[in-house]
Amino acid sequence: MDSSSLTCKKLTVIAVLAVLIQVFGLGFFVLGFFPVKPALSGFSGVESFYPPGADSAEFQNTTNLSDSQLKYLYQELSLVPPLFDRLILLVIDGLPAEFVLGKDGEPPPKSFKEAMPYTRSLLTKGRAIGYHAKAAPPTVTMPRLKAMVSGAVGGFLDVAFNFNTQALLDDNIIVQFLKVGWKIVMHGDDTWLKLFPGKFSRHDGVSSFFVKDTVQVDQNVSRHLVDELSCADWSLLILHYLGLDHVGHLGGRNSVLMAPKLREMDEVIKTIDLNSLPTNNNDQGRTLLLVVSDHGMTGNGNHGGSSYEETDSLALFIGPTNFGSTSGTTNKANQVDLASTLALLFGVPIPKNNVGMLMPETFISLTVDQQLRLLELNSWQLLRLLEAQLPGLVCENFLCDNFRDDGSERTRGYSSLEETFCCLYMKAADLHRSWKSGEEKRSASGDNFHNILVAYHDFLRTASEWLSHRATDKPVGQLIFGVAAMLVSCLILLSLLFLLGKQVFSEQNQQFSSANDDLSWWHLDEIFILVVIVIVVISMGSSSLVEEEQYIWYFMTSSRYLLSLRKVMQHIATRTEKNTSATLGPKTNNYIQICSIFVILISGRFLRGWHQGGVNWTNLPDISKWLEQAGSTYIKLFQLVSVFILINISLVSLLWSRRSKKNFMTMVSLMHLFPGMLVLHYITKYQDVAFGTGSYDATLMAQIIYAVLGFCSTTIVVAVPWCIPFQNRTQVQRKAWGLCFRDSAYVIGLSYIYYWSLLQLLLQQPINSMPVLFLFLQVLASIWHSSGSNQHLRQWVEVATLYYMGMAGHFGLGNTNTLATIDVAGAFIGVLNHSTILSGILMFIITYASPMLYLLSMVMYTSVKDTSGFIVSQEGNIGSLLKRTLGFPCLVPLGLNSIFLIAYTIVLLLMRNHLFVWSVFSPKFLYVCATTVCVCLGVSVVASTMFYICLVLAYREKLQTRTD
Amino acid sequence: MDKKKNDPKRGNAILLSVSPLKALALHLICGVGLGLAFWVADHIYSLDLITHPSLTLRLISVFVAPVLILLYSHLRHDRSQCSYLKAVGRGLLAVPAGAVVNAVGATILGAPVGFEYFPKTFNWSLLMSLLTFVPAACVFGSSWTDWHRIFARTKANESTDYMICLPAHGAVIGAWFGAWPMPLDWESPWQEWPICVTYGAIAGYLVGLVASLGCIFFCNSQQHLKEE
Repeated sequence: MDSSSLTCKKLTVIAVLAVLIQVFGLGFFVLGFFPVKPALSGFSGVESFYPPGADSAEFQNTTNLSDSQLKYLYQELSLVPPLFDRLILLVIDGLPAEFVLGKDGEPPPKSFKEAMPYTRSLLTKGRAIGYHAKAAPPTVTMPRLKAMVSGAVGGFLDVAFNFNTQALLDDNIIVQFLKVGWKIVMHGDDTWLKLFPGKFSRHDGVSSFFVKDTVQVDQNVSRHLVDELSCADWSLLILHYLGLDHVGHLGGRNSVLMAPKLREMDEVIKTIDLNSLPTNNNDQGRTLLLVVSDHGMTGNGNHGGSSYEETDSLALFIGPTNFGSTSGTTNKANQVDLASTLALLFGVPIPKNNVGMLMPETFISLTVDQQLRLLELNSWQLLRLLEAQLPGLVCENFLCDNFRDDGSERTRGYSSLEETFCCLYMKAADLHRSWKSGEEKRSASGDNFHNILVAYHDFLRTASEWLSHRATDKPVGQLIFGVAAMLVSCLILLSLLFLLGKQVFSEQNQQFSSANDDLSWWHLDEIFILVVIVIVVISMGSSSLVEEEQYIWYFMTSSRYLLSLRKVMQHIATRTEKNTSATLGPKTNNYIQICSIFVILISGRFLRGWHQGGVNWTNLPDISKWLEQAGSTYIKLFQLVSVFILINISLVSLLWSRRSKKNFMTMVSLMHLFPGMLVLHYITKYQDVAFGTGSYDATLMAQIIYAVLGFCSTTIVVAVPWCIPFQNRTQVQRKAWGLCFRDSAYVIGLSYIYYWSLLQLLLQQPINSMPVLFLFLQVLASIWHSSGSNQHLRQWVEVATLYYMGMAGHFGLGNTNTLATIDVAGAFIGVLNHSTILSGILMFIITYASPMLYLLSMVMYTSVKDTSGFIVSQEGNIGSLLKRTLGFPCLVPLGLNSIFLIAYTIVLLLMRNHLFVWSVFSPKFLYVCATTVCVCLGVSVVASTMFYICLVLAYREKLQTRTD
Repeated sequence: MDKKKNDPKRGNAILLSVSPLKALALHLICGVGLGLAFWVADHIYSLDLITHPSLTLRLISVFVAPVLILLYSHLRHDRSQCSYLKAVGRGLLAVPAGAVVNAVGATILGAPVGFEYFPKTFNWSLLMSLLTFVPAACVFGSSWTDWHRIFARTKANESTDYMICLPAHGAVIGAWFGAWPMPLDWESPWQEWPICVTYGAIAGYLVGLVASLGCIFFCNSQQHLKEE
């Protein structure tokens, strides 16, 4: 037998190497795909009217100021009176700027042009300035609205780390308006309500869910229009019309409904303009109507990607008088520029994370001094943000020689990024300073003014571009490197698995030399395991199957066990048919197998029914909802019953391991009983108050339970291999060794899964206690099942099945592929001071309860597989034993996980412009990453435990032979 | 409801207890009967599977049951001990028994449980029972070895075995595949339990009929070759 080709040491080293490569590749990919940019927390205040680095003692304390006082302070500091007093923000969802402004200087198509006569007339009269405001991908409503109001291009991880609260927590223009005492009214898309809960004085949200409705959804907004326009109490009126987006989704850009919809929007603009804007000289102040769209649409009406059609969104400023601009239709800007422009137009501080620059054409009516001042304010804000993102940015360090050169010199001479920004900024600032000092030269037509303008624009544009690209650009090389590393590791693991399988197979063939054709054929269940892999990988490409992934796992695991039921049935009859050597043993064995399969199937069905899960059908009834309706007494009862049954089952299972000293087993039983009692005590006494005021005792108790669980498990792992007796009086030495090995693994494995389940009963929501018990039952039953079917089934099939069961259980505990189902409350049990790391670990334990349970069960699994035949025949060492028992339980989960990981990574790359990339695919990717961590952890625990047992036993054997 | 078939090729010593032409006629009647049941439900009672799943399923079952039971009872194995009427009787008995097995299988695989689903599951399992269990019950009665050979080992020794085994397995496998579109969010009415599963089962059953016919003809020609 050629076992030297793949020794245990080699196997371990290569596997560990592969895992390391995988982790590195994953890290590279994640950092490349989700760029983390440091966002500034807090809100801009008076400091935005001082240059960066100004002494903060200079600032006036604003905490005691009332809203109106703050407003006047801002006006005083900014040196520029606000151009407008009230704002009407009209958002037309999905309107491409092309429809209103045309493309490349050409007017829009005739039908659209005729559909918006009033808007056209405003544009030609010069009362309106239109912009092609380029939106950043993903061109989906919520991120685009965020970009408009905060001026920042958000990353995905920012959202993920907020635990899925959709409320906008960063600095934004809405908050700035609220600070100066504005009242805000919102009618339209309820995304605004999710972003700004409780911030609007009046609102009427409409849902974008009913895409087929193109009429009612807009009427629900328009019906408020006349009333609101006659009201004087608001300063900001937000109207968000969804109908045009729905028209696009239904029929594309050239839908027959498009022109009527545009006409309707034109009517809205006309109504607002006639009712509201002419009142500019009364007490309500001057009103600005800003018509924007959040994104465009492709030819067939979709959006989400980064094509010109989708990113071409509109920003149309309509004022009461002429802006004095030359051209109203060919201006280009970025969508993020809206935040700074609005802030400067209304005299409030620019939001902290804004990366946009002001839209200069809107300020033409201001004096030259005022225009320069606004540019200066914008530059200060961007410089602050640059300083936060480039920690080494200290402008005094650079000697910008080519200062007063021509504009053509610009960025060419600078060596580093920092130098570029500093020099551009200092050039503008210096010019501006000298302009301020030289009073006499002030004239708008002068060369000097023009130079300063150009200098400021240079700086603003360079900084803005760099800042916004930083958030959206994905480093292609890094991504490819990451994917390649993960691919390599996946291939390594799979080839290891293949080699190991081949080797074990040949050994088995030698052992059972009776040319058993059972071994040489591919069996149905083996094919089925492979089919599951294929199906899961294919399903990753469909957003609805990612949302409803649980159905695949449930369906596949129960099908898998129905197949084994069929297989067991086959064997029953073979025995009765042959009826020769068949003793009672195998027959009862078959019945045990049938029973265990039924336990697995029935508890699996209960798990499935416990939580409806998924995204689309969460409202359907399930057992957990039913229990919650029944009341907390029942839930508690279920919880107590679960703990009680769990303790009993574990004690009974301990008794099965009968070849041990009595005292020792009593000790182990006590160590099982005691933490169980503690958990029972905790549930009866503390659970209800755990989040109340008297929670100190509860926290202490939880901490005690953690300590006891930790202590008991370590003690058992350390002590058991020393205490299990050798019985080599009657048997062959090696066989005794093997029995001892199996006994230790059995006790340790049982303790592992028992303690893990206890911990889950403590941490999980009370409603999940019964599912934890079901999981425990399933694990025991699957191990019983695999103990019966020894050589007929290849080991990797059983291990893969355990892995699949773990995934099914994961969803059975109510987890989904959205971040919303992560149980945050449980993560603070037993944590006294708020600690992100501890809570994170607890959250991981709660979320990955089931996959980890199944991985830990591998220890017990190795103990029930009949390796005695192998050990007796083999003159081998620890290495070959470990390889034989541990090879598959460790390599199969790693291999399967690496397949799923690489497949999903590739899917994510392909889907990066998909409409649902942020809402469906990216959260699922986080789960896949966390599963990888879970598998690595679980496998290392299993491997190290088994290694330890082997070492101890080998040492004891040596001792014994020496004393003999 | 998931029992897949192994390769049934190995039965090389096939006894042809039923002539190919008779099998063809029987299969034709089964297939046409099923189609006719749909037609009657649709045109005479104006019921269809999507709007009234329970009623339609029950109607089809009621229509198909006599056809299947009467036909397959002709093929009963133990002719000496078992009269035609007895075979019909055990076929009738097998309807509820098979329905229970099918309903349990479907529930384990995830069929929804609840009062509003009970009639659907019940009627669906009646139909499944007719397509899978009832023919076997008519032919084999309570012979455990035959049942075991057909359903656990998927081993067909003679032409009646093919006629029972392949359509039954086809129906089960078809139903298994028919469940696949259910979690997709296409929002079509036919994605509800048990509509697409029924479609799958019937499609599988028809494929099974054709396959069993093919096998019988193939064996027949093999036998002729051997004889020559």
